[in-house]
Amino acid sequence: MKKIFEISRWEFLEKVKTRAFILSLIITPALVILISIGGTLISANEQESTKAIGIIDSSMVYYFPLSQTLEDYKLDNGQPAYVVFNLNHPTEDFKDNVMTADRDVYKNKIAGYILLNNYGDSLDVQYRSSSSGDFKDVQRIENAVKEVRIKIGLLKLGVNPDLLRSSFGNISVEQVTVKEGDQVRQSDFISEFLSAIVFIMLLLMMIIYSGQMLVRSLVEEKSNKLIEILISSCTPEELLAGKILGLSALGLFQMFIWTCIGIALAGTSVIPPSAFNNFFIMLVYFILGFLFYTALFVGIGSIVTTEQEAQQITSYLSLILVLPIAVSASAIFNPNSLLVEILSFIPLTIPAIMLLKINVIDVPPVEILSTIIIMIASIYITIFAASKIFRIGILSYGKKPGIKELISWIKEK
Amino acid sequence: MLVVRNLTKQYNDVVAVKDLSFTVSEGKIFGLLGPNGAGKTTTIRTVLNIIKPTSGEIRFYDKKISNNFFNVIGYLPEDRGLYKKSRVDEVILYFAALKNMNRTEAQKQLNFWLNKLEIPNYKTKKVEELSRGNQQKVQFITSVIHNPRLLILDEPFSGFDPINQQVIRETILSFVSEGKLIILSTHQMELAEKMCSDILLMNKGQEVCSGSLSQLKKNFGGNMVEIGFEGNGGIIKDLSYVKGIDDYNNFAEVQLNDSVEPYVFLRDISNKIKVNHFRVIEPTLNKIFIDMIRQSVVS
Repeated sequence: MKKIFEISRWEFLEKVKTRAFILSLIITPALVILISIGGTLISANEQESTKAIGIIDSSMVYYFPLSQTLEDYKLDNGQPAYVVFNLNHPTEDFKDNVMTADRDVYKNKIAGYILLNNYGDSLDVQYRSSSSGDFKDVQRIENAVKEVRIKIGLLKLGVNPDLLRSSFGNISVEQVTVKEGDQVRQSDFISEFLSAIVFIMLLLMMIIYSGQMLVRSLVEEKSNKLIEILISSCTPEELLAGKILGLSALGLFQMFIWTCIGIALAGTSVIPPSAFNNFFIMLVYFILGFLFYTALFVGIGSIVTTEQEAQQITSYLSLILVLPIAVSASAIFNPNSLLVEILSFIPLTIPAIMLLKINVIDVPPVEILSTIIIMIASIYITIFAASKIFRIGILSYGKKPGIKELISWIKEK
Repeated sequence: MLVVRNLTKQYNDVVAVKDLSFTVSEGKIFGLLGPNGAGKTTTIRTVLNIIKPTSGEIRFYDKKISNNFFNVIGYLPEDRGLYKKSRVDEVILYFAALKNMNRTEAQKQLNFWLNKLEIPNYKTKKVEELSRGNQQKVQFITSVIHNPRLLILDEPFSGFDPINQQVIRETILSFVSEGKLIILSTHQMELAEKMCSDILLMNKGQEVCSGSLSQLKKNFGGNMVEIGFEGNGGIIKDLSYVKGIDDYNNFAEVQLNDSVEPYVFLRDISNKIKVNHFRVIEPTLNKIFIDMIRQSVVS
């Protein structure tokens, strides 16, 4: 036991001091924050000030109702979202009106303008602005034009204008997730998705980073025969246990620092408070995933001899790790799909998939329990196999063993 | 004493070591010699209990070798390497801790050894900042700091300049007088010849020859003497026990019967001719090594 402690102490202290580790401590959260800020910006994209918008409507049928509808949109602070100008000067030629309006747009006098062309029954609508990214504006304009068109049609049929006003009032749908008992939680889809993604990304980065570190140090110890001194001082099992423990301590330390950063930022727009809803259960999956992959890396790391092989193998493993991110969209929109269901019972993907799922739906306790048991069992098996492979692998140089040979190593007493 | 009996190690269908027996005793340096791929490393690994022998046994002071002996064995592998980015004292203390030394004692020994090998100034330097020779010294310290009873040294002198070779040699010799068991594996035959009293020469996993160095030389050497003289050299070949002679008029190389001690020959001729110089010609270990390995390859 004492030797295991000494080894883990050494592994921890040696790695915690490296420049690469200190950088990763800072860079990873910075990246995550950047991405989540990016996400928030895209998702919210609230406009902050009133926009000046012009309308050229040669028929002048749409101008008044359309400007009214648009001016009904309000900003968060209660100010109107749009101020609408009539850019149709009847004295001028239609083409000249358009040219003048275009000039106003690129001189930034107005944010854009709506160009309406009536051809008998059909209506041609353009929104001309200097950027093509105003999705929200375009969506609103579309809705407003549709609404106005219907209103005009209904008015022609003699429908009461008051009835029209009430039936076209703005409706927004609030989403509420129902839980057992009387608990009800309001779900903010974006923030939940983001907090899950943040966790998964942290897990991935930690695993890839520490896995690579582990494999590299094993290759180094192997290539300069330090490994022989080590295992003539302790058993391979002690060495393996010490390494896994040391790395786990390193991982926990990293987690601790990141959690501190997370708590410091909690409540701000970067980390929504809901990110901490499932913190404990997320932590469990996190640790299980970390242990599982570390054991996997140890087993694989012990059979390679050169830096190149190590890189090759760690990049394959990293690819497997990234798989959950690829299916994360499908997991979010359809957490009960067959693919997600299957992946949430495969040890390689359990941690990432479950981290996603518990944030999106209420996973039944049976599933949580069974996946945790699967994880623990696979960690046990992996460590067992890894230690067998490790024992022989660390002393063999040159050619990489085939699957057959590896199996015979595992079987060897 | 370390006794290895009928050691065999087989990997799948490759026999790395076959039926090897030898004894390492106190007060002598045991030379484990052989060409590359002879099975020396495998033999060392089984003694270190890193790998299990297929058959045979290894006993250390009459107890079967096991993991309990980790802390009394020191090992200096041929390929040197340390944690390059780490500090000299931290690396040494780590290996000391792995040998179950407590920290205070390890600190004390660390300072002692750094002083003894004349590198106390490098204590807090990073390993990679040291010269190759000084890195070798650090490695040497890691293998001896815990005061092992059995020390296995694989090419301990490679990479050292002549002055440091002497320092290391003296240190090893002091271990001999302390009663440590020492196994020395090397390709430097002259050095082995000067330092080792017992030799095991192996090739292709098997013993080629073994025994005390003097016995080996005698067995191999065929009892040759060299004399410089004045007078009639003809009387030499008349002696009944002289098997052959290369006569150069006032210098001759004489081969004697195996049963005759060289001093008998000297006594017998010294009253008949004037002997200016007399020397027993011993085959060098290098010659024995090369000839024996050649022979074993042929047979």
